Amino acid sequence: MTDASARGHNAPCSNRDFDFFYRGLEDERLLVQRCARCNQLRSLPSPGCESCGSLDWEPLPLAGEGEVYSYVTHYHPPLPGFAAPHPMALVTMDEGVRLLGAMDGTDPADVAIGRRVRVEFVRRENVAAFRFRNL
Amino acid sequence: MTTISNKTAIAGYGATEFSKNSGRSELRLAVEATLGALADAGIDPSEVDGMSSFTMDNNSEQEIFRAIGGKDLKFFTRIPQGGGGTLGPVQQAAMAIITGIANVVVVYRAMNERSEYRFGQPMHSLPPTSDNVIFAYHGFAGLMTPAAMLGLMMRRYMHETGATSLDFANYAVLARKYASTNPNAFYYGKPITVEDHQTSRMVADPLRLLDCCQESDGGVALVIVSAERARDLRQKPVYIRAAAQGSPKGTVSLGGFYKDNVWPFDECAAAGRQLYAQSGLSPADLDAAIIYDHFGPTVFPGLEAYGFCAKGEAKDFVKDGHLEIGGKLPINMHGGQLGEAYIHGMNGVAEAVRQLRGSAVNQVPGVRNMLVTAGSGLPTSAAILGVD
Ligand SMILES: [Zn+2]
Repeated sequence: MTDASARGHNAPCSNRDFDFFYRGLEDERLLVQRCARCNQLRSLPSPGCESCGSLDWEPLPLAGEGEVYSYVTHYHPPLPGFAAPHPMALVTMDEGVRLLGAMDGTDPADVAIGRRVRVEFVRRENVAAFRFRNL
Repeated sequence: MTTISNKTAIAGYGATEFSKNSGRSELRLAVEATLGALADAGIDPSEVDGMSSFTMDNNSEQEIFRAIGGKDLKFFTRIPQGGGGTLGPVQQAAMAIITGIANVVVVYRAMNERSEYRFGQPMHSLPPTSDNVIFAYHGFAGLMTPAAMLGLMMRRYMHETGATSLDFANYAVLARKYASTNPNAFYYGKPITVEDHQTSRMVADPLRLLDCCQESDGGVALVIVSAERARDLRQKPVYIRAAAQGSPKGTVSLGGFYKDNVWPFDECAAAGRQLYAQSGLSPADLDAAIIYDHFGPTVFPGLEAYGFCAKGEAKDFVKDGHLEIGGKLPINMHGGQLGEAYIHGMNGVAEAVRQLRGSAVNQVPGVRNMLVTAGSGLPTSAAILGVD
């Protein structure tokens, strides 16, 4: 963590519910929350469990592989930090949770529902990030 | 029927012109629309005692109230979620009147969306509010515009239903066909073809430029009073037969990617269930509709969620011409937000009022009950309006 902020990461807009996810990326780990009461996994961070309402949870690293559930390719207007066209995929990870990731570096024509992908950790300027690549 | 049904009515509406550059302040637009609505209803501005709008509206209640010569404002309220909120302020007005909190409520939305800011730009998510940290989490992947967010949902819809961009062209063309005969519409005199749609550039594949709504300057206001009062006023009362909000389990604002169905669907279905229960009406009782079209393709799951056709069958319903006047459910006869203007759906509410009064430019004959919906893919709202 060369220049990570006091929060332990440099992601631009986070709070104490989301910090663990971005800190995980600094260590090249893709973290989700596991409910300490009912073991339900959740990828989109939240202080509480949608299934049982428990506020107790622990971070769980994902293995990093999954299958494309949906995707979109951004063309317009220009995006800060990404060239267009910019594909993104909503991926059902093998652990069962969905995760949205960039697929820059992949031809948009090669992105398809049902395709197997694997996480790749990247740095975007001083921010630890990730994207998906086709397997 | 429940307590809210038919107890209140839209007694008047007002609107500015819709443009790409209004040349005046947003507050001025709000005041013009409000005064227009009051004049339409035949109510003196001094009688207004309630105001309801969108949290995204930049015009404060008391400043509009000062400018119209208001006397005693007792009720003011705001609804979040941008275009998802459209019918929320209408519901607020109805509840305030039914409970005796207010008697004459103005619902308004006015913006210089095109000339002063543009919603389609990449979002800059600060400060870290509970919604902004989610927008930033998705923005981290490059998902930064409403078009891309809805595009991600619609891609899955296409995969599951077999709907294609050519199906979406049918709605894009129809919206401009209606708009082409509406002098208030951006597409007035400018119909488009399927080929125009298919060759328009990608914005967020699968969404093309001609699938996207307008970016507009303009204002719309409604005046809502009790049904009893409305019957003594100059216009035919447009009764609020039902008004509901919908945000079921798993709903995230423009980011509901983690539930069983990621289509822009569940929140609409939740609002629809309440509307039909409140009003005692069913989809078959509705003669026409305003289906929110921030992006034209979302009309397809919208038709399904509100019960006009089964899941996945909207593409055939649309192809068979049922959205045209003479079809089973004419929709968006003003041209929708693709063809007329984008005022967060309030111009669609105004169109419903005209249709029900029988004064629309593309009039559906004999309309008695209409559904009006709000933005999908986020917490939403909807209403059923009707005339005797
Ligand atoms: Zn739990």
